[in-house]
Amino acid sequence: MDLLETVAIPRKTMVLFFLVDTSGSMMGSKIGEVNSAIEEVIPELKELSESNADAQIKIAVLEFSSGARWLTPERPIEAENFVWNDMDASGVTDLGDACKKLNEKLSTKAFMREATGSFAPAIFLLSDGGPTDEYQKGLEVLKQNNWFKKAIKVAVAIGSDADKSVLEEFTGSNEAVLEAHSPAMLRKMIKFVSVRASEVASKSANVDSGDDGGESKQDAFIDELNNFKVEAADSADDGGGDVW
Amino acid sequence: MSELKKGQTIQTKGFKSVTVLERLGEGGQGIVYKVDFNGKPMALKWYFKSKLKNPEKFYDNIKNNIDHGKPTDAFLWPEDITEWVDGTFGYIMPLRPSQYGDFSKYLLAKSNFKSVRSLVNAALNIVEGFGALHRAGYNYQDLNDGNFFVNFETGDVLICDNDNVMGQGYSSGIAGKCRYMAPEVVLGKKPDKQTDRFSLAVVLFLLLLGNHPLEGKNTNPPCMTEELEKKYYGSDPVFIFDPINKDNSPIQGIHKSAIAKWPQYPQYIRDAFIKAFGSEQLRGQTPRLMEKEWLETFIRLRSEIIQCGCGIGHFADPTKGVSCKCGKRISIPAYLKFKKLNVPLYPTVNLYACHTISDSEDFKTVTAEVIVSKNNPGSIGVRNLSDITWYVTGADGKAIPKGKDEVVKIASGLTIDFGKNLTAEIVGN
Repeated sequence: MDLLETVAIPRKTMVLFFLVDTSGSMMGSKIGEVNSAIEEVIPELKELSESNADAQIKIAVLEFSSGARWLTPERPIEAENFVWNDMDASGVTDLGDACKKLNEKLSTKAFMREATGSFAPAIFLLSDGGPTDEYQKGLEVLKQNNWFKKAIKVAVAIGSDADKSVLEEFTGSNEAVLEAHSPAMLRKMIKFVSVRASEVASKSANVDSGDDGGESKQDAFIDELNNFKVEAADSADDGGGDVW
Repeated sequence: MSELKKGQTIQTKGFKSVTVLERLGEGGQGIVYKVDFNGKPMALKWYFKSKLKNPEKFYDNIKNNIDHGKPTDAFLWPEDITEWVDGTFGYIMPLRPSQYGDFSKYLLAKSNFKSVRSLVNAALNIVEGFGALHRAGYNYQDLNDGNFFVNFETGDVLICDNDNVMGQGYSSGIAGKCRYMAPEVVLGKKPDKQTDRFSLAVVLFLLLLGNHPLEGKNTNPPCMTEELEKKYYGSDPVFIFDPINKDNSPIQGIHKSAIAKWPQYPQYIRDAFIKAFGSEQLRGQTPRLMEKEWLETFIRLRSEIIQCGCGIGHFADPTKGVSCKCGKRISIPAYLKFKKLNVPLYPTVNLYACHTISDSEDFKTVTAEVIVSKNNPGSIGVRNLSDITWYVTGADGKAIPKGKDEVVKIASGLTIDFGKNLTAEIVGN
């Protein structure tokens, strides 16, 4: 290799996990909105990954209804090569199975096997209801997983039937749960969370030169979420009012 | 309201108005728009409301930087600041010209320099910019790969994101990325000029070697957590080419660029990085390499660039020549021996003000060129392109003046007096 030859600098990998509730109650505008909003955010994630010398962004998708299924069963897919396939909704809400399947893949023997290492992932859960299976067991095991512990975890409760306490249990904080009551708001949240959580998670950590001491990436992201909530409340008028 | 609408007009502190034309991009702190600023296309960085911890202080600092002015033209410096609108504000700066690309794209091998010369020019320009910033009493604080736009044809550099630049003694409170911060900043110290200089060395290493100076065997854990980043970039950093401590050596097959390029740089470049990332410098106990030292180092490096006919650029020892991997041996007929460096006398080599003018750091103004005689291709000379008359002395001791456009025919043993006690001897190889 001569002085002018270049190879891309070795980067960490950061996986953005979408965990999407595709139970029957999501049928119609909810799942339609989730499909189109995620599809539309992919080019932004691609751009973020292409210009990021700290880490490459990969995407993994797990849907759960009657049981949970990986839409990316082999491995997480680079944002640059990711193609979104629309999900359909039917069945119940087996969140416990989703936790179990996520736990299996959060391992260097599975999805987290990278020659140049990874940053902790970002895990984005979307649900409009409450678990129909014995989710506690799956969640308890997942909570012992070190990748999960270090991950940025965020959830969107779609509509007023969503069990927010379960989402809080999953993310570990009520601040990390957003509530969407209209298609416009859901779209905005999916875009914001996907892009900003990926950005925070995929960059080298900030030093603590601020006045308020050290904060983890999860704390830093929650700060952003809180700002987002304030701004979203300010501009609620363009959301067209509550639908769900 | 954080987002601006196309066509929206805002008043500035300078009693002008900006009208939003289009959205250019978005970052963690805000959105950048292309705007019409009093009839001129400019960029507006508009902050997200409540994103800044102390917006009034931040506003005052930008205002202050506008009043004090940019250190050099290489800075995309704030030129005006808007009035507050609904709890937030923005500042106006020049647009990035289209011939400039992202430095991070170069790190990702998506852009590349046209020549080894433009690569070294980029190093010189980055060093010059930070030297000027520090001399003006500012420090940058959160220097990283996202702060540079590079013209890959020429090596010209533009430095952006100057909103965190602070006067000495102040802290912006903006936390930089661990990978780019001095270890003591990672461990909690406030950034200053000395810590800027550490970040500068990281950027220079990335530019020349294509890998991070502290990323080797140690820094490849399965999960790079915040705690581990603090360890590898803060409490326990080790240079990948540390001559004694091999714990963090580069990994074959991963850190390919640094492994391949490190031996191709002259020893004095390697020594400069070994010093910049020595264990004492990493602990912040010894002053960092100053911009002046880097400038001298890179001026010397650029002087030693010899381009083979096959197109490959080399750093040649002016006293020896170099073998190209195409098989050709490039011999250098003679060199100019200055006090601190040797300049090969080889066709296409230029001398700059920093060579021929005493105490000059100007590495951009060409003051002489090495040429081949039209009538006798075996004969080469140095043409004076400056307004200063040189005096050339041979064995007879007679000083012959050489004014602008006159040529000194190269012969071993001649001494050129450039004026103000600056001389160099021509030495044949």
